[in-house]
Amino acid sequence: MKLGGKLSSKFDFILFGAVLILLVFGLLAIYSSTQNVTQVRNNFEKQIFALGLSLVLFFIIYGLPTTLIRTMVPWGYGVSITLLIAVLIFGKTIGGAKAWIDLGPLNLQPAEFSKIATLLALASYLELKGQDLDDIKVIGKYLLIGLFPVALIMLEPDLGSSLVYFGMLLTLLFWRGISSFGLFVVLAPPLVMISSLFGIWYILGAFVIVAAFLIVFKRNIFITSSLLAINFASAFFVKYFFNILSPHQKKRILSFIDPNSDPLGAGYNAIQAQIAIGSGGMWGKGFMSGSQTQLQFIPELWSDFIFCVIGEEFGFFGSIIVISLFLVVFLRILKIAGETKNEFLSLVTVGILSIFVIHFAINIGMVVGIVPVIGIPLPFVSYGGSSLLSNFIMLGVVFNIARSKQVIN
Amino acid sequence: MTQLSSVRKSVLAGIILGLFLIYGLKLFSMQIVFNRKFEDKSTDNSIKAIEQMPLRGVFYDRNLKLLVQNVPSYTVRITPSEYDTLTNPMLEALLQLPKDTISHIMQKHKKYGKYQPVKIKKGASFEEIGWLEENSERFPGVDYIIEIKRGYTNTFSAAHVLGYLKETNENDLKKDSFYTLGDNLGMNGIEKSYEKELRGEKGFNYILVNATRRKIGRYKDGTVDLASIKGKDLVLSLDSGAQATAEQVMHGRSGAIIAIEPSSGEILAFTSAPDYDLSKFSDITPKEYMRDLISNPLKPQFNRATQSTHSPGSTFKVLVALCGLEVGAINENSTIYCPGSYTYGNRTFKCHGSHGATTVYRALEGSCNVFFYKLIFEIGVDRLNEFAKKFKIGTKTGIDLLEESKGLIPSSAYYEKVYGNNWPRGILVSVGIGQGEVSMSPLQLAFMTALVANNGKSFTPHLVKGYLDEKRKFVPYKFDEVITGVSDRNIRIIKKGMWLVVNGGGGTAKNIRSSEVVIAGKTGTVQNVHGRNHSLFVGFAPYDNPKIAIAVLFENAGYGSEVAAPVAEEVILAYLRSTGDIKPKPKEDKPKKDKKTNDTLDLITAIEENR
Repeated sequence: MKLGGKLSSKFDFILFGAVLILLVFGLLAIYSSTQNVTQVRNNFEKQIFALGLSLVLFFIIYGLPTTLIRTMVPWGYGVSITLLIAVLIFGKTIGGAKAWIDLGPLNLQPAEFSKIATLLALASYLELKGQDLDDIKVIGKYLLIGLFPVALIMLEPDLGSSLVYFGMLLTLLFWRGISSFGLFVVLAPPLVMISSLFGIWYILGAFVIVAAFLIVFKRNIFITSSLLAINFASAFFVKYFFNILSPHQKKRILSFIDPNSDPLGAGYNAIQAQIAIGSGGMWGKGFMSGSQTQLQFIPELWSDFIFCVIGEEFGFFGSIIVISLFLVVFLRILKIAGETKNEFLSLVTVGILSIFVIHFAINIGMVVGIVPVIGIPLPFVSYGGSSLLSNFIMLGVVFNIARSKQVIN
Repeated sequence: MTQLSSVRKSVLAGIILGLFLIYGLKLFSMQIVFNRKFEDKSTDNSIKAIEQMPLRGVFYDRNLKLLVQNVPSYTVRITPSEYDTLTNPMLEALLQLPKDTISHIMQKHKKYGKYQPVKIKKGASFEEIGWLEENSERFPGVDYIIEIKRGYTNTFSAAHVLGYLKETNENDLKKDSFYTLGDNLGMNGIEKSYEKELRGEKGFNYILVNATRRKIGRYKDGTVDLASIKGKDLVLSLDSGAQATAEQVMHGRSGAIIAIEPSSGEILAFTSAPDYDLSKFSDITPKEYMRDLISNPLKPQFNRATQSTHSPGSTFKVLVALCGLEVGAINENSTIYCPGSYTYGNRTFKCHGSHGATTVYRALEGSCNVFFYKLIFEIGVDRLNEFAKKFKIGTKTGIDLLEESKGLIPSSAYYEKVYGNNWPRGILVSVGIGQGEVSMSPLQLAFMTALVANNGKSFTPHLVKGYLDEKRKFVPYKFDEVITGVSDRNIRIIKKGMWLVVNGGGGTAKNIRSSEVVIAGKTGTVQNVHGRNHSLFVGFAPYDNPKIAIAVLFENAGYGSEVAAPVAEEVILAYLRSTGDIKPKPKEDKPKKDKKTNDTLDLITAIEENR
């Protein structure tokens, strides 16, 4: 039993077990929320089917030679950009976003898969020898690679996925060892952009903060003034861009900032989601017995609002188990990232971790009312084939890296 | 490096643990500390979003006369989760429903779940609703909604143009997430092809409901409600006068009449006979009516104007002659000799007489067959096929109705497929006179005529011109231009030939020469193995400045000149009088016409005065 012993020493059973329990919670919640809705009654079976497919893919990826990951970089990125353009032209619109490619029995969501491809491209760029992260040109190229898919996804529009990319970009830079000044250069313009949507006082406040940081960093006058100019420009760019949008698009963006400005969509769902979770109590109302869930107060509960079902029907007890399982998953992946000596593979692992964490943070934050309503699924729990497949592909890559790390050492 | 990376690892671990703590505490506060508050909201005071159906857009004719409107109608519903089935007999008696209807309907709707309301009666009377209101305590789970149904205010039917609505079923819901069960959906005609414009956008009212899901008030006094947006009010291109006349002259026959404004492609009149009564479809359609419709051998629901294809007969000679001129097979002065018959191989094809040396003018005027028997061999079937496509024959015209036939103009490839490589060339003889394999829809005939009338160009034929916006301002829809590229010179020759048909000494339709307006046209008579000949006429008027192009097809009616041509004249005159292009003459001046025309005239004057 030498082989078995060897396998088990490299296969993280705790991580895999935690994911499996999350899947069980997800399937129970999907079943409960779809059995009384005629149009989606077969979602449970569809999810089981997607899970089977995902597990097969997971073990294939797990077994492949690790060197293969690096060879995927150029064409993986190329294919995913092509798909993101294709979806804007041929895509199918569901829930206001043109984000799906209709493949007959299943709808493919390219944004899900381009996350992995972009991550690989970014990690391999950062791994190149002599990359100085304080060099504006290096950062510029890095952002170009990372933000091109984001621009395409914003056109769908899919804000949730765009945020995931931003988080991943920052995490990778941080992991690669960017200085606090570099972090400031990257982080300031987007924050200024966001603040400019809220009004003039927020813009002024943002400028004061930017100026304060620039004084603290004490760089030469050329760098300081050009950074100030970039931040000014980004604020005006947003103002200008926002003004040329149609009223319909403006409304959509404003409802991200203030959900209550759109009581039909975001606001209503946020209120109902909190009632569902809060009314669950310690032990929950029981499987298939949540009134908020069964009376369909929240549309499409089975996808982005799936945690409401768990909160209402399994209570605080079930909710804490689920978020603890996520904690286990995250810390185990972080452990693998820290132990992997190869820089590229370590960056890939931490990038995958950031994708999972941001999904978790936005999704749970949204249903408990801490974060505005942004459509993004809860990994391994929400209904959705594309999301499940891409999550298992990423998990497979992590397990593959974990398996090979001793060899590389 | 390693030391630094362990710092970073701790930072990330710290962020993750922080997230876990914040979310854990938030859940603890919601589910344990403030659980009562949320539980109360959940059981006593839930907000429910109620869908508000938008009003469906209505139809106007080209002169903004209302054709189709919305009429309110009461529908009684049951929500199974709250309903007590013991009250079935009482409710049935109250609503005058046959015994056991309710349990029957509820059984059928069981699969939709017990929270989905079930409609048990449509078109309930005001008294029934009043009674229900008074006794609402005795009937938990029973409510009523006001639904709209279609009301028809026009003096004509236009059933195939307007179309009717049906209730959505599970399949419709899967195809389009806009709908919920029981919504109305355009089934055919414009109701279907313009469904997305007509249906509008749904709104939502937020209400507070208590533990038994009874309404106890409006959420925030309705200030956050979202109003529904009414569908677009469509302006049709139809002219009520021309349409009414066309339907009157069609009455009791089978066939189709289509009239088009040549310069715009706008359809002025569109009939397919026999037709059916749209008002029978606005509530629940009576079973007997539906059975009669389906068993009628003439198929009233079939749209003859766009879906049926017939041999165009001699009306097709217009296109063959124009094609001959365009490809240079003939010119204005060239003649083809007609000895009275034409022999190809061992078969002899007859003409209506011996026309002698015949120019293209005389060939059209007297509908000489031999001229076209010979001409088609000069042109060749593939060149004709290509040419016809420019006139949208053998291809769809693109009219704004969803059901349309392409028709057929054969090509050598087609013949090879059907008869093999050695297909008998003699088949072409009948193609020259619009018989044999050639087939077209009445719409294609009318559009071909419109293109000729407007010197080879027009716009894709259409029934809807545009819509009225919120300020009741007319907003036109854009339609593609159709350009055949035919030379003005050749068009003029063909138009002159069509003028001779009506106004020449040997014209086949000289019986419809009118003193009021100069009409040009072409007759057609198609032999029918199943019965009497089909009678056809295509034409346009006024000759100098065409305002209307028309195609008339009467099935099993006789000669084109005898039946179809006078009818076409009647519709042309009715329309041109209503637009003021010709002055209505004193009634004594038209002793030849029967009473029908006078009625039409009165009707049109009435409409004029109405405006």
